[in-house]
Amino acid sequence: MIKLEELTKDYGTTLAVNKLSLNVGAGEIYGFIGPNGAGKTTTIRLMGGILAPTSGKIIIGGYDMAKNSVEGKKMIGFVPDRPFLYEKLTGMEFMRFSADLYGVPRDIFEKKARELLQQFALWDWADELIEAYSHGMKQRLIIATALLHDPRILIIDEPMVGLDPAAVYMVKDILKELASRQTTIFISTHTLSIAEDLCHRIGLIHKGTLLAQGSLDELKHIAKLGEARLEEVFLTIIKENTFI
Amino acid sequence: MNTIFALIRPRVLSAVNNLRQSNKKNNWARILMYGTLGLVFWIGTFIIFYRVLLYFQSVQDFGNILAMKLISMIIMTFFMLLLFSNIINCLSHLYLSHDLPLLHSLPVSSRDIFFSRWIISAFDSSWMIVAFSLPVFLSYGIIYKADVIYYVVFLIAMIFMCLIAAVLSGMIVLFGARILPAGRIRTILILLGVMMVMILIFILRLTRPEQLVNPDSFASVVLYLNSMQTPNSPFLPTTWITEAIKAALHHETKNALFNIALTGTFAFMLIFINNTFAQIAYFKGFSKSQTTPRRLFYPFKYKSFNWENLLSFLPRESKAFAVKEIRTFFRDSSQWPQLFLMAALIAIYLYNFSVLPLDQSPVKTIYLQNLFSFLNIGLAASVLSAISARFVFPAVSMEGEAFWIIQAAPVSTKKFLWIKFFLYYIPLLILAEVLVIFSNLLLRVSSFMMFLSTITLFCLVPAVVGLATGLGAIYADFKSENPAQVVTGFGGLLFMILSFSLIALVIILEAGPIYYIFMVQLRGGSLSFIQMIWTVCSFGLAFLLCLSAVFYTIHLGGKSLLIK
Repeated sequence: MIKLEELTKDYGTTLAVNKLSLNVGAGEIYGFIGPNGAGKTTTIRLMGGILAPTSGKIIIGGYDMAKNSVEGKKMIGFVPDRPFLYEKLTGMEFMRFSADLYGVPRDIFEKKARELLQQFALWDWADELIEAYSHGMKQRLIIATALLHDPRILIIDEPMVGLDPAAVYMVKDILKELASRQTTIFISTHTLSIAEDLCHRIGLIHKGTLLAQGSLDELKHIAKLGEARLEEVFLTIIKENTFI
Repeated sequence: MNTIFALIRPRVLSAVNNLRQSNKKNNWARILMYGTLGLVFWIGTFIIFYRVLLYFQSVQDFGNILAMKLISMIIMTFFMLLLFSNIINCLSHLYLSHDLPLLHSLPVSSRDIFFSRWIISAFDSSWMIVAFSLPVFLSYGIIYKADVIYYVVFLIAMIFMCLIAAVLSGMIVLFGARILPAGRIRTILILLGVMMVMILIFILRLTRPEQLVNPDSFASVVLYLNSMQTPNSPFLPTTWITEAIKAALHHETKNALFNIALTGTFAFMLIFINNTFAQIAYFKGFSKSQTTPRRLFYPFKYKSFNWENLLSFLPRESKAFAVKEIRTFFRDSSQWPQLFLMAALIAIYLYNFSVLPLDQSPVKTIYLQNLFSFLNIGLAASVLSAISARFVFPAVSMEGEAFWIIQAAPVSTKKFLWIKFFLYYIPLLILAEVLVIFSNLLLRVSSFMMFLSTITLFCLVPAVVGLATGLGAIYADFKSENPAQVVTGFGGLLFMILSFSLIALVIILEAGPIYYIFMVQLRGGSLSFIQMIWTVCSFGLAFLLCLSAVFYTIHLGGKSLLIK
């Protein structure tokens, strides 16, 4: 569902992503981890069609994002790391706006929006302006909106930032359930425990280069560690710059 | 004092770093462009005032009275401008800036934060007025052959005037922030907008500039100007400033120094009071402004009526954008004063046409009516440019940090820009046509001129809106604290230059053929073959210019958004 080929993003002064190639299949939860400034957010923004790559290819659900980004984006539910929204719209108005852009059928919108807002504990706030929402509420609203059009691919940058423990638990559950329904999920995170709990495969990026990828066991093998937490694997691979 | 300097330093360093940015060539081009424009404006102001004062000198008895009256009017105007711009800046710097929570978390007193912010706000509000007061008072100095004391007194007086306006604004804002409900601080802006409109209309009604056309009424105009009661109470600082400058101009050094000392002591006393007042009131007001703003108006619902249904003829994506744009625009209270000002601008525009004394002019009325009608096309288009600069140019930047939603949505950037274009094009077209039709009706022009005006504007409006949309996308700033202000940057300036050039080009292209057609209509007969060819080519070229302004700039804007 997601295919990156030799993906490169050069900001001129910084090479943020360097010849990154990876594949993520349907129903797979792929965790993307790395230190600050490793290129995680840039990769996610490239995949979401927010940034144009310097070179390389992004294939989303069979669509080349350089040639047919609109069709590709229709398959994506995108959740950025910082919840910037239209502050002067209410939560419900924002969802309707998004539904119109993603072509959610009108007859199912009301029901679906209500369900999601209730699921994310935002129903009581549905008619309040977003400017009155807390950081966590905005984050929940973005996630709920991203699920509105039943995306086949979910791209999430730091999904748990600003969420309370109950919301973290709920989001984890939702992501697992979506994956069981063959939704592809690409998560970038700093929270290694989340990657450990959720992801089928993990990719480790450092200085724009993918150092290693695989299941937790495969990564332990690469790091030449026996029984170890992801944290130790992460630190070992980063330190030794072990390549795939 | 060290703390205050430390708090100001980030602002100074940001400005310096901005100049040092990697693209030095571009920076120099900007500085050169702004510098040239500023210089042209500066020299223009000087020449106008110099000639006006020279003319006043030639008018016996009244000349000096008029020149002195003009000084008090200028001082009063500058003071009001300073007051208004200081209030706006104080609100932003003291209560609305994004970095304020960080500053208040630092181990510094709220008095120091207030004072540092007040200094920045005073500087931002005053430097331009001081810069452009220089040519005005320089022309006075030259005409009245003033000595060096005049220039020193003038400079000190200007600095004191800026300080007094800044302190008074600070006090007004401090007081306002204490009494208004939390989160409603921006409401002040609405009140100010309404006040501004009322002042503008009031000034217009009082001055009646149309009387100046009639030479017979000149004496009465002089008397009128003379009797115009600009406040001259001895308790007002503007009176002291005016008196100081007047005295220095007439070599009355003692009188000048007395008034300047009065102004100075008043300014410093106000700073002291303001500082004490800030110690008590600032933090409480700031704290109030940090709470979640409640909606000022809740949506008006009437039975099953929903205004969104009026837009149902639009494709779904376009309707979604239109609804979002309208909602966010009208819910942003900082936009409202601008709307009031726009309404005032239009009212004054039409009022001017209604009072033009065409019958009293020695030139034949029919010529004047049609000449004004033709010039009216340019004027209406210029008004439209100003409105586009304020509302259309920042439209893309207004997406702000939420622009990721558009980027991530299954809508191409070009489509997004076209939707923005049409959202503004329709209301602005209606506005421009209403302006030109009403003013033409007031001028009682021929049906040919009426037709030509409406058609020309029909082509110019999309061109201006297209330029604003495209350039607004090319120079979009999604990180600006106040996206509405992006128009004051390089892109906004470029838009104004290109827009006015386009309007001028279209007017010039149309002028020749229209003159021939008008004369043919007046004298009878028909256009020669060459005149016909000229007419077709001129109108065709004007149309092509308008068309390319729309399509090319939006194309460039779309491309530019892709790489942002």
